[in-house]
Amino acid sequence: MHELSIAQSIVDTVLSEAQKKDAKRVTEISVDVGQLMQLDRNALAFALRLLMTGPVLRGARVSVRVKKASFSCRKCNQEWGMAEAQKQLEEVPDTLRVREPDSKELPLHFLPFLYPAFIHCPRCGSSDIFSKEGEEIQFRRLVME
Amino acid sequence: MTRPDESDLIPIGAAKEKLERITHVILVGSGKGGVGKSTVASGLALSLSRVGQKTALLDIDIHGASVPEYLQVGPPVRSNKNGLEPKMKEGLRVMSLGLFTGSLPVPMRGDGKQELITQLFALTDWGDLDYLVIDLPPSMGDELLSAFSLFSGKATLALVTTPSPGAVSVVSRLRRLAETEKVPVKGVVVNMAYVLAGKTKTFPFGKPNRRLLEAKFKSTIIAEIPLDPLVSTRGLSAVLKGSNDFSRAFQKLAEQISR
Repeated sequence: MHELSIAQSIVDTVLSEAQKKDAKRVTEISVDVGQLMQLDRNALAFALRLLMTGPVLRGARVSVRVKKASFSCRKCNQEWGMAEAQKQLEEVPDTLRVREPDSKELPLHFLPFLYPAFIHCPRCGSSDIFSKEGEEIQFRRLVME
Repeated sequence: MTRPDESDLIPIGAAKEKLERITHVILVGSGKGGVGKSTVASGLALSLSRVGQKTALLDIDIHGASVPEYLQVGPPVRSNKNGLEPKMKEGLRVMSLGLFTGSLPVPMRGDGKQELITQLFALTDWGDLDYLVIDLPPSMGDELLSAFSLFSGKATLALVTTPSPGAVSVVSRLRRLAETEKVPVKGVVVNMAYVLAGKTKTFPFGKPNRRLLEAKFKSTIIAEIPLDPLVSTRGLSAVLKGSNDFSRAFQKLAEQISR
């Protein structure tokens, strides 16, 4: 469900960009989504294609790539990836999971920057951590003519 | 090939769309903790909603979200095809980061705070609103500056202070910041202005001197709100429903804001 609203935001942003640049047609939309958002990349690509109606967007090539998340501890310099973080995310209480019509999603699915509330250093336990990448959603390429 | 610059990150595009459906944004801030910003923001939002204004309250205090507590709303949040559903409280739409973290601490440095606030605003299904009231956190850091920038052009600031000289001194710094950032100031709310014991008013933080405060803040005092101990036992909403100094002060504040 969230994939559909993300797709709608992408389409709105692309259309507004096309208008700003006075472009007649968009031929490629490539998007990077952070792994922390735990979006279904096929569902996002499908939703994008579904929403790309109208002369400006119809027929544009769509590509969605997942950018790997990685973390680092400021206290002990430990580094780790999503597999380790996933173990901690499984502990997130059920009451905090966002109710979608047919599933329960982690808050990070919507608000990836909230990760310090749920992930800590697997070595020293500190919450003073940072993510190097993997929490953003960005255009990689947007081609228009 | 064009690669939209950083200002075109997808949530920001969505935030602009959402903002177009909101008529007024009221930032409730003080730059300081302990003056009752969340009480004032929650009371104002409820009072605006009760006079028929389509109103929402957004709590962007990342580390100390307290609006869910004041308004007695809690997790889980639901999501629909239009985004995250705000919690409803007597017609008021409420969204807070606290609805996603519950009792967990949220340790976070500056990086990512602006994005987090933008995402929460952009992903919430606000619908059409007459008023969006924003409960700002203490200090003049990332959250406040992010709100100034995100709601720029549509926001006015309601300054909250107590009559205490310490509070007045800090809050007047936020007044100066608002000036440099070109955020219009709607007025000053003097919170905890007095306590009513029977018919006798006592002034725990000193008697507010209206003329001096207005000169200090270069703004009008738009409400003097008493400290009502019943708020902590009966709850904000219940006290606002009664006929008392506290509820009358909030009615007046809502009138001043919507004037």
